[in-house]
Amino acid sequence: MNSHTEKIGARRQRIRADHTRIRLILFLSLVIALLLAAVFAEWICPYDPNGQDLSIALQPPSPDHPFGTDRYGRDMLSRVIVGGQTSIFSALILVGIIAVGGTLLGLLCGYFGGALDAVIMRVSDICLAFPGLVFAMAVAAVLQGGIQNAVIALAAVSWPKYARLARSQTLTVKNLTYIQAAKLSGTSSLGILFRHILPNIAGPVLVTAMLDIGTMMMEIAALSFLGLGAQPPTAEWGSMMSSGRSMLQTYPWVVLTPGLGIFASVVLFNLLGDTVRDYLDPRNGQRKRRRTK
Amino acid sequence: MRKKTWTTFLAAGLLISLLSGCSGGTLAQEPSPETSGEKSLVWGDTTFNAENGEPDINPHRDNSGWACIRYGVGETLFRFSDSMEIEPWLAKSYENTDELTWVIQLREDVDFASGRHMDAQSVKECLEDLISVHVRAAEDLQIREITAEGYTLTIHTAEPVPALIHYLADPYGCVIDMEAGVTEEGIVSGTGPYQAVSLVTDSGLELVKNENYWGGEPKLDKVTVRTITDGDTLTMALQSGEIDVAYGMPYASYPLFENEQYSFTSCATSRAFFGTMNFESPVTGDPAVRKAIALGIDKEGFVETLLGGNGYPAEGVFPENFIFGGDAVSTETYDPEEAEKVLEEAGWIDTDGDGIREKEGTLLTLRWLTYPSRQELPLLAEYAQSTLGEIGFQVEINSTADHNSIRTDPSAWDIYVSAMVTAPTGDPEYFFTYRCLDSSANNDGHYHSDELENLAEEMSRTFDSARRQELAVEMQQVILKDNAFVFASHLRMSMVADASVTGLTAHPCDYYEITADLDIGG
Repeated sequence: MNSHTEKIGARRQRIRADHTRIRLILFLSLVIALLLAAVFAEWICPYDPNGQDLSIALQPPSPDHPFGTDRYGRDMLSRVIVGGQTSIFSALILVGIIAVGGTLLGLLCGYFGGALDAVIMRVSDICLAFPGLVFAMAVAAVLQGGIQNAVIALAAVSWPKYARLARSQTLTVKNLTYIQAAKLSGTSSLGILFRHILPNIAGPVLVTAMLDIGTMMMEIAALSFLGLGAQPPTAEWGSMMSSGRSMLQTYPWVVLTPGLGIFASVVLFNLLGDTVRDYLDPRNGQRKRRRTK
Repeated sequence: MRKKTWTTFLAAGLLISLLSGCSGGTLAQEPSPETSGEKSLVWGDTTFNAENGEPDINPHRDNSGWACIRYGVGETLFRFSDSMEIEPWLAKSYENTDELTWVIQLREDVDFASGRHMDAQSVKECLEDLISVHVRAAEDLQIREITAEGYTLTIHTAEPVPALIHYLADPYGCVIDMEAGVTEEGIVSGTGPYQAVSLVTDSGLELVKNENYWGGEPKLDKVTVRTITDGDTLTMALQSGEIDVAYGMPYASYPLFENEQYSFTSCATSRAFFGTMNFESPVTGDPAVRKAIALGIDKEGFVETLLGGNGYPAEGVFPENFIFGGDAVSTETYDPEEAEKVLEEAGWIDTDGDGIREKEGTLLTLRWLTYPSRQELPLLAEYAQSTLGEIGFQVEINSTADHNSIRTDPSAWDIYVSAMVTAPTGDPEYFFTYRCLDSSANNDGHYHSDELENLAEEMSRTFDSARRQELAVEMQQVILKDNAFVFASHLRMSMVADASVTGLTAHPCDYYEITADLDIGG
């Protein structure tokens, strides 16, 4: 009876693992498709995204302009596609910067400790003491508008999460026997950090980064919406929504189409992040198996 | 995962209910005007706030005079006709006995809302307080001494002020009862059809009928002014019936009200949208570049399409309802081919084929400084970015609320595009002394013209209004010839009201709005 239940449990776990894998493949291919669309945006978009033609301003969606046109007569579909490039790549670059930078700092703090740890962690405490987006708005306002500055502002306030995560993971790992063995065998500190500790803490950092892409995309869009991010004529989803805000009732496609872009890509990146977490986390399965007993 | 899916659905549901709530227009918050037998009206306004310099209705403070006169609390000694000519209001007549002396006869039938009778002494007290606390008024009026006798007020100025009567018609010139004073909230007692009973800065104002009004009985018993800074919120407030009149609505919302349930009242104002060229810049310091910019901005397209017809393409400083405005002057019209020719002749050529012209290693980059609080300005910037881009400019827009500090640094911009009421008192001198002369505090582009300085000097001494008008035309022509400024359009001011509102008429000076005629029907 017991072994029968275990068999059923194992089968369920396998099925679940298969499902996770299928989901992973599905979401990964969708994200890759999105990224390809962003990379080749200039070639895909049917019209010049910045080409103005006032004679066709504010046309509703039609076969010629599936997403309609904005008040300058620019094709919204082309702008949404090109805007995706700005929004997605700035989010990816931002997450890349904070994940790599934060993790490195966390590794150093966790491994060496001492004064370095104290200083960096207090700085991160200061950053965490402010509400993220409000702090980013302040930094962006000081740096003036521009998508680059928006990324810098958000990076300046978002790195502590990774530093803290990497630090706590390093503290756990550094006392394990294999690290001590590496130390005894004379491996240098750098070698230990990058060859033995980093690969063992990369999982959680990766999952956090995946889940962060959607959030960061929203925050960049929020800064642009407030006029602190992308500057005209750069197409960016947040600033496109902001400039069309007063037309929500009269010409809704001007606001809804970039909104759809944000919605779809944020959902997609979040679903992928979730699936990657499920896929990488073996404890998930074990815990569920215990529950089925 | 499942939890996340549910959260997503919940969020979508909330969003849908939010959107349907916005468009339904059935918020049923309208206080019925007739329930208590009183006639009341709710006025929604985007401009009555501290950020705009209107924290209250005390005319001796900042720009609050605009609120004082707009909401029917205060009145001035003289006012403007529909063609911006001076006409008497609280005064009956004036006489200019010599260059430094003005004798003004006041009406004898005017009482303040406080109950005090208005005579020359009360006006004297008011003006003396004004010049002691309001810097701009003191500089404009140059008052040395005021004497009061019965209903005769005599003003002695320190130097000739030909536009004195115009300045007295500025909103800061609202006559208020200084004995009643200014309350902590900033409430004053004027002579207008309504008197304020409560005021909260950035929130609104409650007005009741002034029973002592000299100009006939005001038609409404109560008026509530509500500050709604966001244009979209204002739109929805009018849709839901929360307000009866909307002042400052975004053009994009107009189509929602173009039906029999609402009425529009509009007129041309002297608020101009224009660019100031920076003469210190290596780019706009070049006359050819300035000329190309003037030739490269499609004013008609901007006004017709982007402003939806809510404006007038500008020739010069003043709009066409001024004698010295509109076609009285001439300037460049949109001609991209001519602009390209001008640039080529001046040596600005695109040698590397990237679409941007260069000259001696300098790129034809135009740093366009503007700000977002006037909805027309970012539109103009983005449109000009495209039309100027076609003739070889690279336009970098900096649209920032911080423009007032940046414009004072001539190394930070090439063209500063802003909005300004160019003739708030109907007199042409103000614009030039404020923006164009060596002595102007706001000559941000460091423009200098000997010819203009001479004409301005003559204007400051000229009392004859016909000659002043001629000078206004000549002075405009000088700055347009130098392309020191490029004027894109003048604003058409509109108010949208519920169809039951009557007696609401837009005025070119944009501050005679709540009058004794304003009414709301059944």
